[in-house]
Amino acid sequence: MNSIILVNSLRFVGLLLLQGLVFKNIGVGWESFPYLHIIVFPLFILLLPLRTPKTLVILLAFLLGISVDFLYDTLGVHASAAVFTGFIRSLVLKMLEPRGAYNMSYSPTIARMGLGWFVQYVSILMFAHIFFYYSVEAFTFVYIADILLKTIVSFLASMVFIMIFQLLFNPLD
Amino acid sequence: MFNLVQLLIKLSGFLLFVLLEAICFSLVVRYNGNQEKVYTNTVNQFTGWMQKKSASTYQYFQLYDENKRLAKENSKLLDRLANVGINVQNPLDTVWADTLQPKYSFLEAQVIRNSINQNHNYITLNKGSDDGVTAHSGVVSDDGVIGIVRKVSKNYSVAMSILHRQAIVNARVRHKNYFGPMTWKSDNIHIFNLENIPKDAPVTKGDTIETSGYSTMFPPGIALGVVDKLWMDPGSNFFTIEVRSFAKLSNLQHAYIVRNIFKDEQEQLEKSVITEDE
Repeated sequence: MNSIILVNSLRFVGLLLLQGLVFKNIGVGWESFPYLHIIVFPLFILLLPLRTPKTLVILLAFLLGISVDFLYDTLGVHASAAVFTGFIRSLVLKMLEPRGAYNMSYSPTIARMGLGWFVQYVSILMFAHIFFYYSVEAFTFVYIADILLKTIVSFLASMVFIMIFQLLFNPLD
Repeated sequence: MFNLVQLLIKLSGFLLFVLLEAICFSLVVRYNGNQEKVYTNTVNQFTGWMQKKSASTYQYFQLYDENKRLAKENSKLLDRLANVGINVQNPLDTVWADTLQPKYSFLEAQVIRNSINQNHNYITLNKGSDDGVTAHSGVVSDDGVIGIVRKVSKNYSVAMSILHRQAIVNARVRHKNYFGPMTWKSDNIHIFNLENIPKDAPVTKGDTIETSGYSTMFPPGIALGVVDKLWMDPGSNFFTIEVRSFAKLSNLQHAYIVRNIFKDEQEQLEKSVITEDE
């Protein structure tokens, strides 16, 4: 029990620093018009144990998002996307529920749920997160084509990094 | 109560989501220049739209008073218009004090009852003897003649509509001055008959028919309608003319009662001649 809290706390801090100090500086595109952000911090939200209460997931997502915002100097933008991801996590989990229901003591990881399930799960949530993020960033759907292009490019890049982490560390919880 | 608490627990995730998103969005528009611009622009557009809508709604509620005001204004203008012709027709060197006095005055009234589907239709107006209405006064609307006052009480008057089998309006062909009585004989509320136009009169389809001014009820020159059909019955010396009227009797709201100030004088004089001959 304690180890799960410890692991998740470490993941919180680690992903926050990785996002804010490393990936913040990687941007591909024109100077004032970056097409590509690598966003990995929502991985924390995705990997929270299955038994975490819905409200706690949303609250933790907000905390992480607002912390990232402080590092990015974009107060509220990442937080709103993170809260959205935290909210739809339970819906996606219900959608992808395997035949024999979840083992509630597990976390949704490759080791526990299998690679295929995990890729599906992460893809849906990451795409939603990144799309929401770019929508809030533009704050209007006038540039919807632009938003979608950025979303797709950033989504692919982020997925690569997320899968590398998962396969490297391959955590159980 | 228990159900409500249960519902709130069930919805807690969603409610927290909405609350936190609200906080996030307020932070976004507060601390991010780009989004703030989009936000203020949108809000300005929306409030502008709202203000326009509310202003037009408010104007709509004012329409009743506005209509009343306009109707009063109209009656004043009609007063002046009807009297302009009369004063001009008198050569300046023979003007008497009396001829400069107005001959007609128009009293604005509201139609409170009206019918169009009988053989004898009547219009009730909300002005009566207290307002100076007398029997046998003409009633006109913005479109033309609509009736003749038959009876007057203290506050109301009942006019016989021109859609009355016995109503007769003295009419003439505009600019041609051939005159005759206009009556309603058809079943169509827009079609009237003009009689006594001799067969040598150069009347054609499309000519305007107006009041002649020979009766004491209406000032001359109020439009009545246009000639719709005309033909000559075999053996007759007169045209049979069907007139399509301008008056919209089916949605009357305002009317003007015509008062002829010299009506009594004219009628007495005419009557005295007739009695003398008899």
